[in-house]
Amino acid sequence: MSRLGGVIARRAAQAVAVAIGVSALCFAITQRLPGDIAYRIAAGRYGYDMVDAEAAASVRDELGLDRPLWQQLGEWVLDLLQLDLGRSLVTSQPVLTEVSHYLAATLQLAALSIVVAVVVGAGIGVVAARRPGGFADRFSSLWVASVRAVPPFLLGLLLMIVLSAQLGLFPAVGHGDGGIVLPALTLGLSLSGLIARVTRDAVVEVRGSAYVEFAQTKGLPENWVLVRHVLRNAAVSLVPYLGVQFVVLIEGVVVVESLFAWDGLGHSLVHAVFWRDIPVLQATALVLALLIVLVNTLVDLAVLGLDPRPRGRAVTA
Amino acid sequence: MIIRPHMRGAAALAALALAATACGSSQSADPDTLRIAGPFEIHSLEPSSDGYFFTRLHVTETLVTADFEGNLVPGLATEWSAEQANTVWTFELADGVEFHDGKPMTPENVVAVLEKMAGDAASPLADVGVKTIRASENAVVIELSEPNVSVPATLSHFSTGILAPSSYDADGKVEKIVGTGPYEVAKVSLPSRIETVRVADWRGDEPDVEKVSFQAVGRAESRAVMATGGQADVVFGLEPAGRERVESTDGVDMESALQPRTILMKMNAADPALADVRVRQAISMALDRESIAEAVLREKEIAATQLLTPTLADWDAELEPLTYDAEKAKALLAEAGWTAGSDGTLAKDGKPLTLELLTYPDRPELPALATAIQAELKKVGVLVDVEVTNSSEVPAKHGDGSLQMALVAKSFALISDPLPTVADTFAKGGSDWGTMGWSDPAVDQAVAALMAGAGGDEAAEHRRTIVTTAQEQLPLVPVAWYRMNAAVSDRVEGFQIDALETSWRITDVELAE
Amino acid sequence: MSMVMLEQTLGSRPVRSWTRIASLAGLGLIIAFALIGPMLLPDPAAQDLARYLKPPSTADPLGTDDYGRSVASRVAHATRVSLLLAAVCVATALLLGCVAGVLSAWFGGWVDAVLRSISEAFVAVPALLVVLLVSALAAPGSMLALYVGLALVQWVEFFRVVRARSALVLGSPAVEAAGLLRLGWTHVVRRHLWPALRPLLVTLSSLGMVTSILAMSTLGFVKVGLQPPRAELGLMITESFPFYDAAPWMPLAPIAVLFCLTICLLGLRSPQEGR
Repeated sequence: MSRLGGVIARRAAQAVAVAIGVSALCFAITQRLPGDIAYRIAAGRYGYDMVDAEAAASVRDELGLDRPLWQQLGEWVLDLLQLDLGRSLVTSQPVLTEVSHYLAATLQLAALSIVVAVVVGAGIGVVAARRPGGFADRFSSLWVASVRAVPPFLLGLLLMIVLSAQLGLFPAVGHGDGGIVLPALTLGLSLSGLIARVTRDAVVEVRGSAYVEFAQTKGLPENWVLVRHVLRNAAVSLVPYLGVQFVVLIEGVVVVESLFAWDGLGHSLVHAVFWRDIPVLQATALVLALLIVLVNTLVDLAVLGLDPRPRGRAVTA
Repeated sequence: MIIRPHMRGAAALAALALAATACGSSQSADPDTLRIAGPFEIHSLEPSSDGYFFTRLHVTETLVTADFEGNLVPGLATEWSAEQANTVWTFELADGVEFHDGKPMTPENVVAVLEKMAGDAASPLADVGVKTIRASENAVVIELSEPNVSVPATLSHFSTGILAPSSYDADGKVEKIVGTGPYEVAKVSLPSRIETVRVADWRGDEPDVEKVSFQAVGRAESRAVMATGGQADVVFGLEPAGRERVESTDGVDMESALQPRTILMKMNAADPALADVRVRQAISMALDRESIAEAVLREKEIAATQLLTPTLADWDAELEPLTYDAEKAKALLAEAGWTAGSDGTLAKDGKPLTLELLTYPDRPELPALATAIQAELKKVGVLVDVEVTNSSEVPAKHGDGSLQMALVAKSFALISDPLPTVADTFAKGGSDWGTMGWSDPAVDQAVAALMAGAGGDEAAEHRRTIVTTAQEQLPLVPVAWYRMNAAVSDRVEGFQIDALETSWRITDVELAE
Repeated sequence: MSMVMLEQTLGSRPVRSWTRIASLAGLGLIIAFALIGPMLLPDPAAQDLARYLKPPSTADPLGTDDYGRSVASRVAHATRVSLLLAAVCVATALLLGCVAGVLSAWFGGWVDAVLRSISEAFVAVPALLVVLLVSALAAPGSMLALYVGLALVQWVEFFRVVRARSALVLGSPAVEAAGLLRLGWTHVVRRHLWPALRPLLVTLSSLGMVTSILAMSTLGFVKVGLQPPRAELGLMITESFPFYDAAPWMPLAPIAVLFCLTICLLGLRSPQEGR
């Protein structure tokens, strides 16, 4: 299991490096952002047209924003080592509670989107692969190109108008009460195109391979062949792809979150940048980066599990 | 397309996943819940920042409150009086008030909350000049260091909503809202949702609506969909396009009320170009306010003809309205020494007349109006650079003097009495959201006299001085007034918009079966 | 594995030649519209507040928007901005990624290690964060910020693909033979590397253009990208969407252009870049 250990060790080292890099970067950049940071925070706290010089001065005092920068950064790193992410400069809530709330919301949305994407995408892909060049295959090509050419926010707006405003099937915004359906559909459909394409190509390729022919010759029923051989082997190329998609998805949520008023990480990231809420920004960026490392690790492990054949020096790593 | 059995299974799974999350979707509106949606998010529970959510939802109450016309009426205080030339104010508290945690409200509780706010820069109570606050039997006594007539109005501000001691954590931060109103908090999910339920055995009349939910929805197009799709009963802050759609939809109507809020251009009168009053007047005359209001706000009636809305009756001095006259604007600019170059752009001593107009996106009509203003001013040869940025840049650039013009929406009745806001707007030496680099001795004198408690005809004369000077000198160029709107579903009966937004008047509302 | 590498393997299915021809023709039309349109049509920022939301007519072929501005003229300008900015971003990313990728594959060792760890770091940092922060750094609505942000996000894809493919080519017996014959590095680049990389780069570039254009419009939607009154496709779609029933020509025009543009670019992918 040395390869397993190797994967984990490499990714763990990456995680640490990323964590340090991302937090230092965020800190440096927020300090360089235009505008007076105390004013920005005051605007976030007291409402956009309630901020005045007095409020900004009291924010500056309270948060010690006039201390030297190295002191502020040092304090944050020390706190981080004790797993204390501090409090939001705007809401005064502990960052940990806030970010974990956002993370949960984003993961929930991402998971359902992946389900939609895989079911729709893999479904179209498998059907298209049954007869390459047939009607279903052409339809799938059209589908792939269309969802790739439409930005998620546009798809979201269209779905909102059709399913929510015109047909009244799902609520347009909000948590609970089915508010997750539209954002998940939007993201899921955006992703389904490429998944359909990968599945279709993988299935066609695997189907033409010797072992499937052998299985068919053996007289196994067609569905059995499909599940037992074709899907498992197709999964080897599908899984890394899903990993990448998940990363894209986590980033893509910001737009959809803004459109459907879903309080997730993207939402929190945009707000933190606008209001110069450094602790929240650092924590959100950190969580996003670690999430990406985690997904990559899981993908590595899954591929290792699905396809245990040894590999040479991975040039394409 | 032929779907094989396993495919059918997958499709069923997807349908199930969606259906499971879609349970109880929009179709099954809870008959006992009033669903409100609005543009602003709940960033914090601290009363001085976002306390208005809880006063508007009738969870917390203030000592004094205001009716629809802005007249002060009793809240938690039954009556109040001033002694020693408006420097000592006494507020008698109502009997039998209980917090939502079951504990009775004591004068000491009230003193603790007010002391906190008197020390919080974001609360208007901090600007009143409080010396001491103490409890006296069933009353609260506030001593001031200088006379102030607007203490009762200040105590109607949401930041002074009374919270129970159990609302605070060990550090004195608000961790939950325990108030005294007819509704108590059932659930708060920052930053987007508040749910409340009716308090059993509340001391006053029991309201009809049992549960209320508030959902923050940032994008106006999403709010419009909620209103037309019946996904919310009251939706605040619709843009013109959404308003038109609501008007053509059955089962939902628009309600609106003129707010004491003005969209205006804050001018830096110390700027070399804007120091000349003729330039400011020319900029004002170059604006075809009616067309701008008609195109951007879809309502030409709210084109501003003066700084303060006519609904503030005490302050309405029947001024000569501001009008559109591009030719006269050009003449004034020429008189001020600006001559047109070959491309029509004005210049003086080889320097073009280019001005920066700052605005912020939090109120979506502001960037739109800025674009319209930019086009109007270009027609008289004034080039405007619009910068859409964070609202805090306005006070920040006021502070360092680099501001030229800023398009802002300014409320003149943060508390029910406009006087403190007007006084702050025209403060000597300027103020963050008021005048800049401009002063007028007559206005300074009038403001001081009003704040010291002038009354009757004398006060009316001072008010007239202020508004007339503002109209002539234009340290602030009014653009449009502000109409607050809400889409209200037919199942809501008795809903009325409170232009002062003291509360959402949920207690007056009934839900039809 | 990277996103583009995967998409590129998807392209292994030969794109029919007539698809490419149609795509090229479509793209040519759009480019012509973006280049010539702004010369013929009125100023995209000129407002006529008396003529808002007018349906298409001979004077305004695509109608007017809520400020009475010509939609046709705004779409033409927006297309030009999108195409130009996307092309510059992709060109920068291509140059950066190719040079780094070839260097990495050619020299290996510490050069490869350093370049690879830089790219790994970029992959782990959310692309959105990079663009958000870079665009927040500059003045709001700055073109430069958008350009730097998008180019920084995209070069990694080029780097990874070019490095992987170059390593294969450089390790091949043909190149080994060229080395033995002392044919020099220019020969290797011209005769071996370039032919192997060219189809890949065409595909990567066209996908990169699509990504840039979509990213730009998406940033416009979250109000981080270019700002009004500049005409930009994403911004136009967002601004016009509330009018979808009152003035359908307003959102339809930018949506149609965005869709055709991306579809044509997708159709451009090289037919033989398979494995």
